[in-house]
Amino acid sequence: MSNKIRTIDITDSTASLDQLCDIENGTISGMMFSDEAIYRKELERIFARCWLFVAHESQIPNTGDYITTTMGEDEVIVVRQKSGEVKVFLNACPHRGNKVCFSESGSTRGFICNYHGWSFNLSGNLIGQHESSVYEDSNFDKSRWGLREVAKVDSWKGLVFATFDPESPSLEEYLGPMTWYMDALFDNQEGGTEFVGGCIRSTYECNWKIAAENFVGDALHAGWTHDSGAKAMLGGSVTKISELGESYSVNWNGHGYEFALDTVGNVAALGEKALNKYIYQIKPSAEERLGAFRSNMIASVSSCTIFPNFSFLPGQNTVRVWQPRGPNKIELYTWVLVNKSAPEDIKEKWRKGAMITFSPTGVFEMDDGENWEYSTKTAKGWVTGQQNLFIGLGMDTLKRDTSLPGNVFSGQLNEANGRAFYQYWRDLLEAESWKDVPDRNVGKAEVQ
Amino acid sequence: MEKLFLCNVSDIAENEIKKVENSTHGDIAVYNLGGTFYATADLCTHATASLSEGDIEDNLIVCPVHWGTFHIPTGKAEGFPCEIDLRTYPVEVEDGKVYALIEQMVDEGSAIIAKAN
Amino acid sequence: MLHSYDDLKPVTADQYYEVSRFLNYEYRLLDEERFEDWLNLVHEDIHYWMPGIENRRRENLLDQGFYGTDHMAYFDDNLRDLTRRVARFLQPSAWAENPPTRNVHQITNVEVYHGETPDEYVVYSVFQSVRGRGLDEEYVLYGRREDLLVKSSAGFRIKKRLIVIPNASLKFKNINTFL
Repeated sequence: MSNKIRTIDITDSTASLDQLCDIENGTISGMMFSDEAIYRKELERIFARCWLFVAHESQIPNTGDYITTTMGEDEVIVVRQKSGEVKVFLNACPHRGNKVCFSESGSTRGFICNYHGWSFNLSGNLIGQHESSVYEDSNFDKSRWGLREVAKVDSWKGLVFATFDPESPSLEEYLGPMTWYMDALFDNQEGGTEFVGGCIRSTYECNWKIAAENFVGDALHAGWTHDSGAKAMLGGSVTKISELGESYSVNWNGHGYEFALDTVGNVAALGEKALNKYIYQIKPSAEERLGAFRSNMIASVSSCTIFPNFSFLPGQNTVRVWQPRGPNKIELYTWVLVNKSAPEDIKEKWRKGAMITFSPTGVFEMDDGENWEYSTKTAKGWVTGQQNLFIGLGMDTLKRDTSLPGNVFSGQLNEANGRAFYQYWRDLLEAESWKDVPDRNVGKAEVQ
Repeated sequence: MEKLFLCNVSDIAENEIKKVENSTHGDIAVYNLGGTFYATADLCTHATASLSEGDIEDNLIVCPVHWGTFHIPTGKAEGFPCEIDLRTYPVEVEDGKVYALIEQMVDEGSAIIAKAN
Repeated sequence: MLHSYDDLKPVTADQYYEVSRFLNYEYRLLDEERFEDWLNLVHEDIHYWMPGIENRRRENLLDQGFYGTDHMAYFDDNLRDLTRRVARFLQPSAWAENPPTRNVHQITNVEVYHGETPDEYVVYSVFQSVRGRGLDEEYVLYGRREDLLVKSSAGFRIKKRLIVIPNASLKFKNINTFL
């Protein structure tokens, strides 16, 4: 039996979301990766509404410390205030829109626009201009022309998020029960975590959703895509993931975390005995802190995406944002995370180990890049972009009889999280406001 | 010579600045530089800004708006974008109080009218 | 900005020729995917460092300017790390390497000086790497290099290499070669 292409009726206008994203039947279509109109809608309905990761608290410890980044395609400055609070502003002067801060990181008294000398203090207030007397003569009201602040900023265990939408749910509500799982990486030791200095940025000609989906719940690809990386780092293939025993895919509102309970599967990929040893050393205190179940997750075979585009791998400790730059392009921002309380030599090993595996020179990441770019490129074809793509693995693996929070599915070799990711994506695109976003969660919002 | 009371010595900690309002001469910035007191005009000569809201770096005052600098003891404009020197006031400290010494300016018009009357 | 020295002693024309021939040969090996031969040119105590570049203001520079020790890096390798990278290139399952990448490496602006000991050479240079991948991918990367070469009876060995690119954000997805 041959699989002929699904023919496209040329009298149809652009395929509707019904065709491009049919989660009930376990299919999506590549046009969601290539279509410019869909991308513009994503900027409006996803990146301008959701909570987006902007910084780790450790990057801006003191008053006046700042980093610059993007929220979607909007450039922003993230600044530590004298009060200890963090403010996030559009990195655009309210006068004529010139970028106000050109560096990626630093410490400052304030921001002065190079164009007309508009000067803003750390709180974003406009405190003066070049030739200020002319403004005074025209009754200019400085208080209305400070740097534009985003709607909300909040942080969870060191991770600073911001949103443009004043109507958005609180960060706590947005993250929901995913925080219970995220604790495994971000709160397994007293003192919490910090980023290693610096950020590596690179460009992929792929759609942001492909990369985000890969981290939301694609343990499946690891054994095949990354065979060469595993052989290079460990001298042999990894244990087949299907042989790891108990594993789960958990999702909630588009976020997804897939994991095994083998404690060290991910960190082992760095091929550094000292790091495996460190994990086992901290495991008892992690268990005291988080319980036995989560102490098995702290560096296990696992991955997570917080919708829309914040992802991380416990174990390799790589943390990243897939910054959208058009439907066919992302700028990948990647950092390395360590426990503040880890010994210096352990932090060093993580800094190096994460980069040798997951960076533009990373022996694992190098093989991901091809997959994602070419999944995007084929979707440019008018016919190819409208074919059905299979995302139906693990239908009917929902666990209803569990005390674990979130929507819990058995097995990490599963596309349940991918389906939930695209469903939430579609729900947001079709929702005029947050109250129109359907609540499709079936699991528990809290730990029982 | 007018002896203008500015503030008490105890009002300004070391390396701090205090603004003293004055409608006749313009607001005055009073500096405590390592125990020695200085006074300059508070209004920056570059653009509208209050120097007493700035930071002291060594013996320079950094304007909080465009970060230009003046030499506190002499009022000399040092760093971009400051170009015009600041007015300074000689300072006298007596009995725990800080005073600015201001030359009496002769108002020629008023003097003629006073003479005529 | 690299921290280069203006007071180093230049080598003779003959010595310069030897070093420059070695550098050209090294790049010919990489262009031909002769990774194991390339590893043989690397000293056992190699520090192969390509730091991440941070776009920072002059007032806020890092300890080395726009890069820092112990900050993120593309390469921060000893011999074991380099060997593991080569191990991946040699795997038949390195999917991104089949079809193979077509490499052209170029080295210019070579300056050779004596190092601290008679067998050491400090080499400044500028490199360019062009990779043709797939049908239409072309990635160009260039930068400055500071090498410490050690000469033995077996020939030159690369003991230290610092690679500094001008880009704070790579315009492509990977660096699947050495520089």
